[in-house]
Amino acid sequence: MTQETPPLTHINMSSLGREENGLNLDKEDICLEVKNLDLYYGNAKHALQKINMRIPRKRVTAYIGPSGCGKSTLLRCFNRMNELVDGVRIEGEILLDGNNIYHPSVNVADLRQRVGMVFQKPNPFPKSIYENVAYGLRLQGINNRRVLDEIVEKSLRGAALWEEVNDRLHDNALGLSGGQQQRLVIARAIAIEPEVLLLDEPASALDPISTLKIEELITQLKNDYTIVIVTHNMQQAARVSDYTAFMYLGELIEFDDTSTIFTNPVKKQTEDYITGRYG
Amino acid sequence: MMTAPNKTISSNDPATLRRRQWRMLKDKIARYGMTLGGISVIITIMLIFFYLLYVVLPLLLPASMEEAHQYEVPSQTAGNTLYLAAEEKSEVGVRFTDKAHAVFFYLADGSIISDIALPTPTDAKLTSFNHADSAQQVVAFGFDNGQALVVKHHYDVKFTLNESGDNDRTIHPSIQYPMGEDLIEVDEQGQALTQLAVQMGEEENTLVAITPDHRLIVAGFTKEVDFFDESVTLERDGGELPLPKLEIAYLLLDKEQKVVYLADKAGLSTRVDIRDKTEPQVLQQVQLVENGTQLTSLTFLTGNISLLVGDSRGKITQWFPVRDKNGGESLAKIREFDAQNTPIVDISPEERRKGFLTADSEGQIGIYHSTAHRTLLVEPITNANITHIAVAPRAKRLLAEDDANQFHVWNIENEHPEVSWSALWSKVWYEDHEEPKHMWQSSSASNDFEPKFSLTPLAFGTLKAAFYAMLIAVPLAIFGGIYSAYFMSPAMRGTVKPTIEIMEALPTVILGFLAGLWLAPVVEANLPGIFALLLLLPMGILLTAYGWRFMPKIVKYHISDGWEAALLIPVVIFVAWISFLLSPPLELWFFEGDMPQWLNSVGIDFDQRNALVVGLAMGLAVIPSIFSITEDAVFNVPKHLTSGSLALGATPWQTMTRVVILTASPGIFSAVMIGMGRAVGETMIVLMATGNTAVMDFSIFQGLRTLSANIAVEMPESEVHSTHFRILFLSGLVLFIFTFFLNTIAEVVRHRLRRKYSNL
Repeated sequence: MTQETPPLTHINMSSLGREENGLNLDKEDICLEVKNLDLYYGNAKHALQKINMRIPRKRVTAYIGPSGCGKSTLLRCFNRMNELVDGVRIEGEILLDGNNIYHPSVNVADLRQRVGMVFQKPNPFPKSIYENVAYGLRLQGINNRRVLDEIVEKSLRGAALWEEVNDRLHDNALGLSGGQQQRLVIARAIAIEPEVLLLDEPASALDPISTLKIEELITQLKNDYTIVIVTHNMQQAARVSDYTAFMYLGELIEFDDTSTIFTNPVKKQTEDYITGRYG
Repeated sequence: MMTAPNKTISSNDPATLRRRQWRMLKDKIARYGMTLGGISVIITIMLIFFYLLYVVLPLLLPASMEEAHQYEVPSQTAGNTLYLAAEEKSEVGVRFTDKAHAVFFYLADGSIISDIALPTPTDAKLTSFNHADSAQQVVAFGFDNGQALVVKHHYDVKFTLNESGDNDRTIHPSIQYPMGEDLIEVDEQGQALTQLAVQMGEEENTLVAITPDHRLIVAGFTKEVDFFDESVTLERDGGELPLPKLEIAYLLLDKEQKVVYLADKAGLSTRVDIRDKTEPQVLQQVQLVENGTQLTSLTFLTGNISLLVGDSRGKITQWFPVRDKNGGESLAKIREFDAQNTPIVDISPEERRKGFLTADSEGQIGIYHSTAHRTLLVEPITNANITHIAVAPRAKRLLAEDDANQFHVWNIENEHPEVSWSALWSKVWYEDHEEPKHMWQSSSASNDFEPKFSLTPLAFGTLKAAFYAMLIAVPLAIFGGIYSAYFMSPAMRGTVKPTIEIMEALPTVILGFLAGLWLAPVVEANLPGIFALLLLLPMGILLTAYGWRFMPKIVKYHISDGWEAALLIPVVIFVAWISFLLSPPLELWFFEGDMPQWLNSVGIDFDQRNALVVGLAMGLAVIPSIFSITEDAVFNVPKHLTSGSLALGATPWQTMTRVVILTASPGIFSAVMIGMGRAVGETMIVLMATGNTAVMDFSIFQGLRTLSANIAVEMPESEVHSTHFRILFLSGLVLFIFTFFLNTIAEVVRHRLRRKYSNL
């Protein structure tokens, strides 16, 4: 694996300095902080190598990079979904509001209520639209009809889906279109009011119009949530994110303002990727 | 192809064409092959269904009758007919006349074979006549001097070689005198016998008579054979009973020679116990017909238990003695048949079935069956008034005489009168039973036996066996399947799943005889232990699971995720050991040392081969199918759904109960249905482990008989194309429809559910 890594000679040392100095994040409120994170699949594969970064609150942070670079793996570390994979070993820390989410005292279910996630493929449950949105609340034991009604409506409005489905809340969610399903899943995620919303290529399975709606939604959601998004689509990253991180072969290569990354990347690998030389 | 880059899209060079044709051919072969396979499966099933239907259908056909011969009454000079009968082959008939003649004639044309004048006393007048049970072929004449003559009409079949080398069969009728040619003294006072009844037995013959001075005379004659000259002497043993001054018109004696029925024209009947011949006792008086109607016909149904009563309004009723709460017996009206229009003049019971024929005064014949409560046919055969009818022993021929001196012979087509909807499914009041019941008791050695063809206890047994099997199999298999698919480590799953699936290959006959020969006695001997096990095992497992939480970290660390279930193996063994260890003391403390006996003493019947044993054995047999399908269904729940649920903060348990089971529900449902279908159709286990008693009792300690086991048990001994045979096929058809319905419902529900969850 190390042989495949391009020689590091072209690294601009000043960018390293900027990264280590915490970039220009000083005036931002930091929500998530990754410290020396290493992740291994089994004994052989070192999927994430010494990741260090900070993710600001109520901003959209995008991960870009070629397939297999570890961006989704990193995203799944934020709500410990990686633990479901057999043989995963994680070292290092991730701090959510200053607390290590990998500390043994942390309850995973509680963590996941604070760090919501939306997957690449829309995955509504085979239940009604209403029950899908209420799912997370019912898990917490909220069964009061009035409370549920209120939150379901609020969440569906928040996910810009209310107008389209308010007359068929009790129809099966699988009858919705792909784009609607993805917004439903977002509504389901925000119904339990997480702090962080992890979006794992949320629009890659959707048509352009649905993609556009999702992107508009992300821009709106930014007002209330810290959003971390993984995307293959660089235009999308450029359109929706405030900060962009470029990953390559399990390493965080460059992390900066989105405009900087796309107009004036410091590192050659970033530039190569953005200009389409690989990936 | 590659060599011809300038060609159009569909190149037509020979090689490509050949390949294309070959490919098309393969496509076609595959398509038609699969279509053929599918259609032949459907056709085969249809064929099975139609074959079953073809065998069963004759059960539903009504009876029919057609005229065979009609001629003048043979030998009218011999007197008027008192009684008609035909022999076994329905070729020769006999009529006994009021001049004490026996006239034998061919039924085909009425030609007389012999006209025998019976040896009657010259100074006495014939005053009464009666016949014994038709199978005995015995009749008795009573005279005004208190004497009686008992004769038997007998037929010898002789075969003679004819010119073409075949055997010719000829029937030679004769008259025999079973009690000697001399007249028998019935009334020792020498009074005229106005009514007479006779029955012959192995050792004793009984004659019953009524005299003008209102006495019922009972005379039993015991045969004594002299050792030296083999001469027969009759030992008379008799008694009398004074009767009220009634005009007795009917006198019946049952062939067991225990009960006498007397009745007058108004239908008032008296039942007399003559078990002690010297002291007859009146048991009961019953009004057999409604007020204002006349009793016009009274006879026994075959078996001599039921009375058939015909009245002047054309109504026919069946009566037999029913045991009441006090231990006594009283004659009860059992069922009523559709009325004919005019008075019933004669009733002739079939000799070998519980059917009978009636004649009314307008010349109509009715064919009925008592158990099935069925009117098979009512058809006129003549315009004149019928005076006598007789049905041949095989019930295929009807003999009738009318008052216009015409003799009628009709052929009867009535193969399966025993079957009706009510006989198969409703409670039927059988002879010798206190109340209507569901019963299956298909055959016995005797013709008098009333076959009981109720499929209800069998269908009930089938469902009961399936219920208890499912009670044990469903929770184990479904929970096991869910655990193995969702919680178990892949390595452990790799061992567990194939192991359970290979259990399906276990021949059920082995499970059956293990259950019947080994498990049933073990269960009986350790009954409290078995129940303790059923109770303690879930508790032990839950306790272990609870205790696991307090296990030190170091222990937990050494057992990797998904292997916790292996810890239960010693727990299960330990609990089973404890349960069996506890069995004898439990039995001693609570059940007086023997639980089966204790159950019997508190009124719960205990069979060694019972529903519990069947439930355990058949449960074991259906677990693999249910487990396997459930496991697959749960395992195939898309990972993105479980991830989605977990990402919302659900615990694995919440995810399993709220998303996984819901999504896997079509599969789990069909697993249960397939298990159910198997339990319903299973034969060998229920055959060997149930005791095959067709009882209608849901108790877990009682045996049962299923439709499938019933077919397996009785098919080898049933006569081909008999009613019994066809009813077994009918029960096969019922089983077929059972499983067909179950599977159809399962498939419909599964389709609905699957459509609901389709775009996952």
